[in-house]
Amino acid sequence: MKRVAGLAFAALVWLVASAHIGSPNVVFDGVAGPYPIRVVVRPPQVVPGLAEVIVRADAPDVQRVSIRPVFWRAGVRGAPSGDVLSPVPGQSRVYTGQLWLMAYGAYSVYVSVNGPRGSGTAIVPVSSFATGRLALPTGLGAILVVLGSLLVGGLLTIVHAAAGESLVAPGETPTAAVKRRARLVTLVAAPILALAIAGGAKWWSAEDLAYRGHLYASPKADAEFSVDAHHRTLRLTIRDTAQFHAIFSPVLPDHGKMMHLFLVGRHGAQTLVHLHPLQADSLVFTTEVPWIPAGRYLLFGDLALENGLGLTVTNSIDVPAAPGDVTPTDSDDTWDRTASLTQLAPNVVRPLAGGVFTMSWAGGETPLAARSPVDLRFVVRDTSGNIVPLHPYLGMAAHAVVVGSDGSVFVHLHPMGTFPMAAQEAFALRDRGDTNRAGRLNTALLTAGDMAAMTMPGEFSFPYEFPKAGHYRLWVQVKPGDRVLTGMFDVDVR
Amino acid sequence: MAIPLDLLPTTAAPSADSAVVVRSLRWHAYAAVFAAACVMTGVYWDISWHMSIGRDTFWTPAHLLIQAGGLIAGLSSGYVALTTTFLGTDAERQAAVSVWGFRAPLGAWTCVWGCVAMLTSAPFDNWWHNAYGLDVRIISPPHALLAIGIFSIVVGALLLTLAQQNRAVGADRRRLAWLLAATGGFLLMNIALFLTEYSERRMMHGATYYYVTALSFCMALSMLGRAIKLRWSATASAALFTTFMLLLMWTIELFPATPKLGPIYQHLTHMVTLSFPPLIIVPAFFIDLVMHRFEGKLGTLPLAAIIGPTFVVAFVAAQWPFASFLVRSPLARGRVFNADNYVYWMSPTYEALTKRFDPPSAWPIGAHLAIIAVIAILMSALGLVRGDWMTRVRR
Repeated sequence: MKRVAGLAFAALVWLVASAHIGSPNVVFDGVAGPYPIRVVVRPPQVVPGLAEVIVRADAPDVQRVSIRPVFWRAGVRGAPSGDVLSPVPGQSRVYTGQLWLMAYGAYSVYVSVNGPRGSGTAIVPVSSFATGRLALPTGLGAILVVLGSLLVGGLLTIVHAAAGESLVAPGETPTAAVKRRARLVTLVAAPILALAIAGGAKWWSAEDLAYRGHLYASPKADAEFSVDAHHRTLRLTIRDTAQFHAIFSPVLPDHGKMMHLFLVGRHGAQTLVHLHPLQADSLVFTTEVPWIPAGRYLLFGDLALENGLGLTVTNSIDVPAAPGDVTPTDSDDTWDRTASLTQLAPNVVRPLAGGVFTMSWAGGETPLAARSPVDLRFVVRDTSGNIVPLHPYLGMAAHAVVVGSDGSVFVHLHPMGTFPMAAQEAFALRDRGDTNRAGRLNTALLTAGDMAAMTMPGEFSFPYEFPKAGHYRLWVQVKPGDRVLTGMFDVDVR
Repeated sequence: MAIPLDLLPTTAAPSADSAVVVRSLRWHAYAAVFAAACVMTGVYWDISWHMSIGRDTFWTPAHLLIQAGGLIAGLSSGYVALTTTFLGTDAERQAAVSVWGFRAPLGAWTCVWGCVAMLTSAPFDNWWHNAYGLDVRIISPPHALLAIGIFSIVVGALLLTLAQQNRAVGADRRRLAWLLAATGGFLLMNIALFLTEYSERRMMHGATYYYVTALSFCMALSMLGRAIKLRWSATASAALFTTFMLLLMWTIELFPATPKLGPIYQHLTHMVTLSFPPLIIVPAFFIDLVMHRFEGKLGTLPLAAIIGPTFVVAFVAAQWPFASFLVRSPLARGRVFNADNYVYWMSPTYEALTKRFDPPSAWPIGAHLAIIAVIAILMSALGLVRGDWMTRVRR
């Protein structure tokens, strides 16, 4: 536990990803009409490229599952007809298939399920960006060098024959002059060919450079603090860091908030702050930063855009000391700081609010498997051991934040999956034509996340797929009473 | 006055042995030309497939046609090389050239080389798609290698037919010259398809289009004009090129198709084909006229100095107003002139751009055309030198 507690987030090389950091795969838990489904979309590393889609449809009467890639600008009308998924051999009620993501930006996979109870469609938002560059395998490189050498040698021999023997009438022997000319032409051709090959190599390099220019990189949040007696105000200015600009659409409220900002304590990482900055300008956000001590923090800001794209902006910031009490900007702002850590293990229990409640792991055996869908399942109980009902926090029974120990992974999870709900709603609104006169989405129709009157079960799970093996820290936020409580766990993934 | 297409006089009397060889290897020339036809039809079909349907596999008919063409050319040439080397008659071996100890006609080696280049491009292209994404462009390094392979097969077919033509006499030579003109048509088609991305209608009042045309077609027409033993050789090749392109354009677009990739901005119901071919038949006709008047009387450079500007003036005079018709006239939008051949991914914004010409560059078009004329002279000189070599190919 100490080892995990001492994890340093020093080497922050943000690996490219889409809606989150280092965690491009999308997991959805929900329904398509009357049929409960789980969808996993593994986007390609390059665009255009093939995404892998896995659908688990637990209902026994499902007859057909099909998928369509819907690009935000073209909508359903501009999507190709659906592809029927194939059942996975040896796995009951699991279907798989591939679909082409052809353009950069916001896509949704429309998963349609048919059966005797009718049909239904679920919208699963996916970000489509080039996120990696494939190296040339040594074996293939060797094959290309051998074939290339054969081609070069062959071509020079053919040039020699073309300039010499081919011009001699059948039956006649090439004269010394003909042979000399053939040699001369070949000698001239060799450097021309070398130049052509060098030109080809340069072209390849230029194409590679151009491709790197299209690689996605997380946008940055430039931070600036202003401090006085009762304020410690953080001003964030968002900007793209890659040559390819991902932000080309207005920001959309998600759960009624323009940004979900997380600050993670950088040393020991026992501190988590979840803030909701106000939008001061299109890409400028401000928020008070209450509670936390001065120091260095990792910053992750979740944004949803009107085109249905989910983005995470990042930075590493130095938070100055606050001279006095600072009032939070938003009533839903929360934080948690603890010295004790809990390693995720079967039936492990984490006390909340000094033991008034407990949060226990109900997800089964650990360590968890990487690159495979898992249920991060928890139960919240009171002191009597009864499962307590939860008040919605930002429209959800629970929120979770996963951060990789090396800072290369960040994801904000909900029980319905890994994507921002606003992205899903944006696609649905656009499909229905719910736009205003300027063609912009009618954002007044978005779910604000204000469902305080209702309660949700105290047993919940987050569907997720860890992108790689390693150590992770997991914060789970719930609202069993009148305030938000946070459970913190360390997770080993193999 | 109608001028009959006719043969130029024979310049050298072939030997009896070579006449035997002409007959024994005739099938190979036909096979290579058939392979070139398969490959070029396949490439056209494949581009049309990507414009209309998008999603493809290794096994699409267009791909199979390209691969079949490559294999027919490569395998038949390999067979000829083996049989000529080990089982050939003295006459057959004497009508061949030596490459790495094996003997076969020059065109056969070019076809084998083209086939190997095409095969090499396959794993390269596959890796390219995985590394940089499925390219929807025609011009990429692996596609360039494939195009060079395809080009070599067409050139191989050209050389095989050429050697036969250069050794044949009378009606036989005339037949072979027409076969050569058809192969020349495939060569022009190869150039046109590779230049598709520089040949959009909206570019046809800009300098770039005429630069690439002068760089490519001027050389090819000068070469074919000199090499093919027909009186109207450049015109014949250009006419056959136009015929192939139009036949494919008008035939393939008859077939129903719907896009299988998205985003779809154009809701197609039938195959989309390439735009109306460039009117290179006009400069080809004038190149032939110049050749009739000056061939044999002027050296290569003075002749090129006439052909280059002739090409530019004739092509601009024909293509410029025709482009205006294609871009601006509603009559051009339809199956005959095919000016509404919008690919499925063409957004409404881009579609609007296709209905007007690109803005002119900073320099006046006249200045560009003067440079283009100089380039055309150089390209024509290169083409004539190449054509001269081609008239001398005997094996």
